[in-house]
Amino acid sequence: MEDIMKKINLKINGRPRQVVTDPDMLLVDLLRVGHRLTSVKQSCDRKGQCGACTVVVNGKATLACITKVASLEGADIITDEGLGTPANPHLIQEAYVLSGAIQCGFCTPGMIMATKALLDVNPDPSTEEIKKAFRRNLCRCTGYIKIIDAVKLAGRFVRGEIKPEDIRPKPTDAKMGVSHPRPSAMIKACGTAEFTGDIELPGALELAAVRSPHAHALVKGIDTSVAEKMPGVVGVITAKDIKGTNRLKYIIGDRPVLCEGKVQQLGDAVAAVVANTREQALAAAKAVKVKYELLPVLSSPQEALAEDAPQIHADRPNLCYVQPVIKGDAAGAFAKAAAVVEGRFKTQINHQAPMEPEASVAFLEGDGEDPVLVIIGRSINIHGSMAILQQALGYENMRYEEAYSGGQFGLKLEVVTEGIAGAAALHFKRPIRYIPSLEESILITSKRHAFDTHIKLAADAKGKLTAMAMDIVVDNGAYYSIGDVILRRALHMLSSSYYIPNIDTHSRLVYTNNPYGSAARGAGPPQTHYALECAMDMLAEKLKLDPLEFRKHNSLKTGQTKATGYVEPDVWPFPELCDAIKPFYERAKNERSAHQNGTIRRGVGLGAAAFGIGQPADKAAAVAELDFDDGVTVYAAAADPGEGNDSMLTQLAAQVLGLPMDKVRAVSRNTDQTAASGPASGSRITYMIGGAAVDALTQLKNAALEVGSLSYSAFKEAGKPTHYLGEKKILETASLDPDTGQGPTFESNVHAIQMAEVEVNTETGEVKILRMTTAVDAGPIINPHNVQGQLEGGMDMGAGYALREEHIAGKTKDWVSFKFPTMKTSFDMEVLTRETPRIRGTLGATGVGEMSMVSTAPAIINAIKDACGVWIQDLPATPAKVKAALSRT
Amino acid sequence: MQEFGREARILAGRKIYFDWEGFFWDSGDWSEEVAVLLAWEGGLSELTATHWKVMRFFRDYYAYHGRAPLNRHLREGTELSLSELESLFPGGIRLGARRLSGLPNPKSCF
Repeated sequence: MEDIMKKINLKINGRPRQVVTDPDMLLVDLLRVGHRLTSVKQSCDRKGQCGACTVVVNGKATLACITKVASLEGADIITDEGLGTPANPHLIQEAYVLSGAIQCGFCTPGMIMATKALLDVNPDPSTEEIKKAFRRNLCRCTGYIKIIDAVKLAGRFVRGEIKPEDIRPKPTDAKMGVSHPRPSAMIKACGTAEFTGDIELPGALELAAVRSPHAHALVKGIDTSVAEKMPGVVGVITAKDIKGTNRLKYIIGDRPVLCEGKVQQLGDAVAAVVANTREQALAAAKAVKVKYELLPVLSSPQEALAEDAPQIHADRPNLCYVQPVIKGDAAGAFAKAAAVVEGRFKTQINHQAPMEPEASVAFLEGDGEDPVLVIIGRSINIHGSMAILQQALGYENMRYEEAYSGGQFGLKLEVVTEGIAGAAALHFKRPIRYIPSLEESILITSKRHAFDTHIKLAADAKGKLTAMAMDIVVDNGAYYSIGDVILRRALHMLSSSYYIPNIDTHSRLVYTNNPYGSAARGAGPPQTHYALECAMDMLAEKLKLDPLEFRKHNSLKTGQTKATGYVEPDVWPFPELCDAIKPFYERAKNERSAHQNGTIRRGVGLGAAAFGIGQPADKAAAVAELDFDDGVTVYAAAADPGEGNDSMLTQLAAQVLGLPMDKVRAVSRNTDQTAASGPASGSRITYMIGGAAVDALTQLKNAALEVGSLSYSAFKEAGKPTHYLGEKKILETASLDPDTGQGPTFESNVHAIQMAEVEVNTETGEVKILRMTTAVDAGPIINPHNVQGQLEGGMDMGAGYALREEHIAGKTKDWVSFKFPTMKTSFDMEVLTRETPRIRGTLGATGVGEMSMVSTAPAIINAIKDACGVWIQDLPATPAKVKAALSRT
Repeated sequence: MQEFGREARILAGRKIYFDWEGFFWDSGDWSEEVAVLLAWEGGLSELTATHWKVMRFFRDYYAYHGRAPLNRHLREGTELSLSELESLFPGGIRLGARRLSGLPNPKSCF
């Protein structure tokens, strides 16, 4: 049937517009494509699941991705751009900035428009009214706490009770311990921050990948003849068109950009089609015929370790890495122990779930024989990603730019779409845009590793831990990535907050045909802490000791050895955190006692963590430069997909140099301008890159003392350099002993203890989290909002990991099947902070982003046990699992 | 079983760590004496003035910017063509000259 076109009159941000539309045109396309209103984001494949595209239509919050333009005759449409600009922001946009509600910023414009619609009809909403109004708006970063704060603050602004200037920190206010607005916050609030999908690239070709529907198969042939003749198609590339190694190699070169003769996991790319439009590219990709010969699929480490299992990679066994940790005499200690507990704890493969789908653009800049291949994407390690791409594509003259990035949580350590886009740009010598769907993005990205851990833990009659044994099997998936690094991180932090004199642990990393694992918030320790912290509660119960007192009693002390035999040199303020949370714990236990009968039972659980910061041999660099206007710029590749690294660098600069906040800047997102500072992972940014920045800034400060002024002209007159390179290096450099796992470990730690309060429905098995409380000591706080935001987002992510989320390749396709956290699943949170300076901290500080979820899952599982008497030893603790466990009691 | 971490070697009387691709873990461990030894291992029996010019450029660039130079910077800074640079060091520019100059691997640090 022919499309019936229709002329529509409407208003967009106050301007009358006439639109000729077909019956299927969606409002999101009219706004994003037709009017370049890129605040209207896309995440959920136009299923109306995420709210990132929320705009106000005739006064109501409306999802642009499911609203047809043909239905909008006479409509009055407002987008985030229509509310205000960074120079003249709306009160709601100000409220989001001043509440610390903006982390990655991808969901922010939609949230702000939902706020506008709500406050227009209800200027003083309650928390429950806010939760109801925002039921269709998702956020992965904040745990929703600061978004609710922002809506309430916006209400106060709108009602005229206070003004933004009443609460906005002044540039001259103290630099440490003050929530100065993030430098990037206002452009994110106003929707003008460009994410990769927002970048205008005239004449760009669109790319679609041909991906394997099989998890393990030989590629016997690829027929592109039909696809190449389809409308709009410019061409198809396969592995033979890639001039470099065709391997995206961190440590082992086993992951191809485009597969050659074999696919190893579901969704592996075998070809890429480029066409004039995305629809044409997608249609042609479907027409590429690939002949596969199916191979046995190894879907678990047990299958992969079987004697007759096929080898996934021809050049290495499925058992790809082992590392023991042997300290003292565990067997002897177990034999003498007063109490021993043991259990098996399994964690799931999980998706990190940044809201922004994968995206990259690539183009050649300049002419001549050696133009620059520019890749714009979402890497958290731009120099490292560029080096990987240079090798893979066989092209050296490159620049990687990090666009604003919609969350990452470890996932963006890996190069994913950039390789294919770059290869196509080099092959066709045309600009390329590759923006896969959410479903494809979920399928092709790295995942959190599944751990299968058997733990045995012992204590003496006085309640002191004496021995621990673990057998850990890690499903590394189809590609090596940094699997050994993730596993070693777990081993480094094996004994966590405690002193355990005898340890006997064995760990194995195994290739399977599952999605490959890589960095994911916490990166290894969340999995092993689940086993350890549940075993701590089991042991406390056996010894009839209070779980909080038991943990405090076993705290490591400065000068004692950690799991790797390393003598802890730094402060260890864990007992003080136990004291800090104790009043909250006692209150929770008292409240629990009134809910021990009936169907709904209440429970309280704890989980502790000592999360290592500054791993042996880590190093970072940063540059501080005095500018013409006597301001200072820090140049460091400190990616900021939401944590607030721009705040950290600028507040440190202002603190070290005594400058107001409006005289300091940070440049972090371009390989041509920044020092290579390593990835934004492992909570290393404040400690390592911040430390390097402080070194550079201190050099600049010392130079200013010699010159007598921090003035550009004075420096020039004195012949002093205005540019200083700073470094930070971890003093210990040795690796763990491959046979004993003994050796130096992280030189500092962030400490925390978390408490979960839950209600368990003993009939349905449903678990409701009432409240999470974290007591944390990360050293002196640079920006309180940023610290709270990391903790709140981490607790929310940890709750999803504990109760709902699991990635099943091919079945987890969107935010509903992923069970993305919502306002409905959100819960109250409290963050208690202590600020003990660390010996080699950055002005005493460490970092909190990853620690924030390390002990959340065990705290929740321990609370479920406290409520109804069952241990859930296989995450996630779904209602079905809880109900089944209850039925066995 | 391969250990994918750092490998310690004693060179010129010093313990120096290298990564899994043979890059210096810490550029501060580099010295001319060590460079001569590594060059010899790699098949370069003699480091000429041109070799030293290239290595000095690498090190000076890194010391100022905190990152490695790209080929376009090398061409300008050394006044050598890419083919001259590639043939000057066994392993070429990246795996030869850059490694011999003591610059770290940008893929390290997790």
